[in-house]
Amino acid sequence: MITGVRSRAARRRSIAFGYANLVPFVFFALFPFYFMLVTSFKSNAELYSLKSIPLWIQNGVILDHYRYLFGRTEFLTWIKNSLIISVASTGISLVIAVLAGYSLARLRFRGVGSFGTAVFITYLVPPTLLFLPLSQVVVWLGIADTIWALIVTYPTFLVPFSTWLLMGYFRTIPREIEECALVDGASRMQTLTRIALPMAIPGIVCVILFGFTLTWNEFIYALTFVSQTANKTAVVGVTADLIRGDIYYWGSLMAGAVLASVPVVACYVFFLDYYVSGLTAGAVKG
Amino acid sequence: MAVGSRALAATGVQAPGRLARVREWWEQEHIFGYGLILPAFVLITCLVAYPFGMAIYFSLSDYWVGSPGSFVGLANFRDILGNEVFRQAVWNSFVFTAIALTCKAVLGVWLALLLARNLRGKRLLRGAVLLPWVIPTALSTLGWLWMFDSLYSVVNWTAIRLGLMTAPGPNWLGISSYAMLAIITVNVWRGLPFFAITVLAGLVSIPREFYEAAEVDGASSFRRFWFVTLPLLKPVLAVVILFSTIFTFNDFNIVYVLTRGGPMNTTHLFATLAYQTGLAGGNLGQGAAISLFMLPMLGMVVFFQLRYIRRE
Amino acid sequence: MSARVSRRRFLHTSAVAGISLTALGRAPAYAQKRELSFLSWNHFVPASDDELRKQAEAFGKAAGVTVRVDTIAHLQLDAKFAAEAQGQSGHDMIRTHGAVPFLFENQLAEIGDVVDKLGKQYGGWYPFAAESCQAKSGWRAVPWFWISFPATYNMAHFKKAGLEYPKTWAELLHHGKTLKKQGNPVGIAISHCGDAMTTYWSIAWCHGAKVLEADGKTPGINSEKTAQVIEYYKELYKEAMDPEVLAWDDASNNRGILSGKYSWIHNPISPYNAALKEKMPIADDINHHPSPGGPAGIHSAPPLLGLGVWKFSKNVALAKEFIEFLFRKENYDAWIVASNAFNHPPLRHLADHPIWARNPKFAMLPKEAEFAHPRGWPAKPNDAVGRIEANYVMADMVAKAVNGMPTKRAMEWGQDQVALAVKGQLKASG
Repeated sequence: MITGVRSRAARRRSIAFGYANLVPFVFFALFPFYFMLVTSFKSNAELYSLKSIPLWIQNGVILDHYRYLFGRTEFLTWIKNSLIISVASTGISLVIAVLAGYSLARLRFRGVGSFGTAVFITYLVPPTLLFLPLSQVVVWLGIADTIWALIVTYPTFLVPFSTWLLMGYFRTIPREIEECALVDGASRMQTLTRIALPMAIPGIVCVILFGFTLTWNEFIYALTFVSQTANKTAVVGVTADLIRGDIYYWGSLMAGAVLASVPVVACYVFFLDYYVSGLTAGAVKG
Repeated sequence: MAVGSRALAATGVQAPGRLARVREWWEQEHIFGYGLILPAFVLITCLVAYPFGMAIYFSLSDYWVGSPGSFVGLANFRDILGNEVFRQAVWNSFVFTAIALTCKAVLGVWLALLLARNLRGKRLLRGAVLLPWVIPTALSTLGWLWMFDSLYSVVNWTAIRLGLMTAPGPNWLGISSYAMLAIITVNVWRGLPFFAITVLAGLVSIPREFYEAAEVDGASSFRRFWFVTLPLLKPVLAVVILFSTIFTFNDFNIVYVLTRGGPMNTTHLFATLAYQTGLAGGNLGQGAAISLFMLPMLGMVVFFQLRYIRRE
Repeated sequence: MSARVSRRRFLHTSAVAGISLTALGRAPAYAQKRELSFLSWNHFVPASDDELRKQAEAFGKAAGVTVRVDTIAHLQLDAKFAAEAQGQSGHDMIRTHGAVPFLFENQLAEIGDVVDKLGKQYGGWYPFAAESCQAKSGWRAVPWFWISFPATYNMAHFKKAGLEYPKTWAELLHHGKTLKKQGNPVGIAISHCGDAMTTYWSIAWCHGAKVLEADGKTPGINSEKTAQVIEYYKELYKEAMDPEVLAWDDASNNRGILSGKYSWIHNPISPYNAALKEKMPIADDINHHPSPGGPAGIHSAPPLLGLGVWKFSKNVALAKEFIEFLFRKENYDAWIVASNAFNHPPLRHLADHPIWARNPKFAMLPKEAEFAHPRGWPAKPNDAVGRIEANYVMADMVAKAVNGMPTKRAMEWGQDQVALAVKGQLKASG
């Protein structure tokens, strides 16, 4: 990125310097994850022994915690629920946000400016308070204790930020292209779907990743709107069933934490470049 | 606009008269605009406006967990200000947010600068750095609880072995200053990726010409950063800091899992004290007042920040 | 051919309709069986929950309904109760704890008929259990079970020090000094957790101190007796405990004693049961003894859990039947056995189950019912007590004193906090 006239040695030094500086960051980011992974494979005896070394496994890798997770809890059902809820709510939010974002970015009419502020206002009431009246709304809609309660309520915190992000993205698309299309006889809707949308793919991927992460990790709504074990999400299920009174099933908890992160991580690995470039136009120029 | 129907006529497609008129009406800029906003508008009014309003009403009433209450004006706010525990929570929240935000901002920019270089394994590195943001907080915080455990802490174990601490090591969650340090650490650990990746996006979008011009002028890398990079990053930083402020002030999970507000209420934040007062203690009105105490101030911060961004 | 096709199409359409309706969470009316739902906690002993579900199924079969038992972590129950009360919809029955019968007095159904019936049948309720569920306007919950809060200690450590188990708190302090020097301190939580509060009530009552006066409105912390209690804690902390007790949560003392480090904790039998389950050798060394006494006698504050029915439930009568079913002697006995002696009945005649007498490590547990009091004693339990518990007032007071604040000032702080908790009292229970 920063080019210029530099000797090869200087460049090699700079690269080494870059890597060296990255090491503490990567270590800080990854160590807890490594630790959780190691804990999930340790036997209980070793886990609770004061003499054992916490950093790696001494007495053999065991799969008991994973077996407990899969056998004695409905872990797979919860993962399935989380997947359905995340995909559905992210999808709904995406559609709403694309429409609203395009409208606010492109079309001139009153109220556009204040929407930017309104977006942030919706985040000022924390979900630890908002869940109470929202649970009332959920009951009124007749979807209490089903995964629909979450699919319907998650867009409330996804749509504002996503709209704002896509707004910024749509603004970067040159007007001339769309005006040409309109002159050529395309309808506004066609302009949106055939011209603007394809150029906004990075922004859309960004919204998808952001939405998937937030909905997958969400806790308080998933806890209070859903009670049946069969309808729980992965995060709620793991914390609810593996913490019993004053007994923490540490091994299985860590196993659950590791496995529950896999789907989200997988998403990111595939779409990371899009995520970065999506944020570029959306957040920066928004 | 009449273009549509004329174009249709030109291509020879026959459209019934009424449908054409509807299409024309739909094609108008403001109608189309409002129409596209409609779904978002419906969502916000039905699912956000009522709970938002209700939440504010809670704080202005003597609502209890089991029974609705009547309007009492600002009595709840007056009551909580009279409680030493709440004042402590206000102080905690400001300290927590200020330190955590500063760390995230400084480290985030630094990390973004490092990630922006042309290094091999860029994707893997960026993915690795993103991991804390991606793991569900409720579960990763449990991992940290185990890491800070008073008997089994791996942090203490390692530090003692490395000679950085003397046995038995700090009582992480039992002494106020260490507990605050612990929750700040977990918050920074979790929030740093969001900062880093967003700033990285901003960095990537800065045109190379700026840097090349600065280099030609003989600027050192530090001056390049200070006079070229930083000013161009200001809009991104402003937005990310704004978002992060709101979410850090309202953080709940980290404190709830690690310390439950202790020791002696020195790590209580607004959200955790509100939960303790409103849901565990039953006084919903006061709990809501605690949650929304920062609302006016944060609202103003949002307003001014956005004005600043839009001016740039 | 056409008939078959049309029948197939009919089945197809109705299947689609049925599936879409069920997807929306509403089963078609003709297939709906009445459902009774019960929200409870994840029991320490999973086998106890299994037995509960088994009995629920048996009741369902007999009554021709389905009974659904949902269990979540006990700390999450408060949020769910609030949401269900707010939305006036949710489960039919709930497991109550602490001040829930008082906080939700207006939302829980009157259940005195079941209470009276069961009381007559089984020799009466223990007073502390009855007081925990009876609000001013009547019974709001049926006491379900209580959890004994003895002391759990490591016999090997005591033997090594040449000591017998402590019968009074003063003896604990004396023994604790020797044990700490031996490297096996005692442990009482002084932090934001339930155990810290339970132990405080016990120590305070044993010294004659109180938190609220009998009228339930006047704070009673500021007194000579409380100062004695605080001084006791200070000495115990300095001489017999490690600083980590300031960071403890409810699970920490379990971990402490199972790690082999701690010699004595104030805790239910969950660590022993966990050690048995995991086949840990330390299980042989762990034993229990009755909660220690003091100058004012022996007193303790064991947790009492109850069964409540929401007023908005459409199955109040059915729920009452289910409660009576759970209290049938054969069912309750099976449930006690499944919990491995963890669940204690609040009814006198159900309490002489041989499982306790048979096991010398459990024999002393049932007697605790005779010196147990609901929290807030000598005041009657109410929502103010619930607030004091939720805000960990006394645990913080002791923590402040232990960290260097002068005893008098810490006491005044505690008194202020209790006054604040009482001030915000619900008008309903006055």
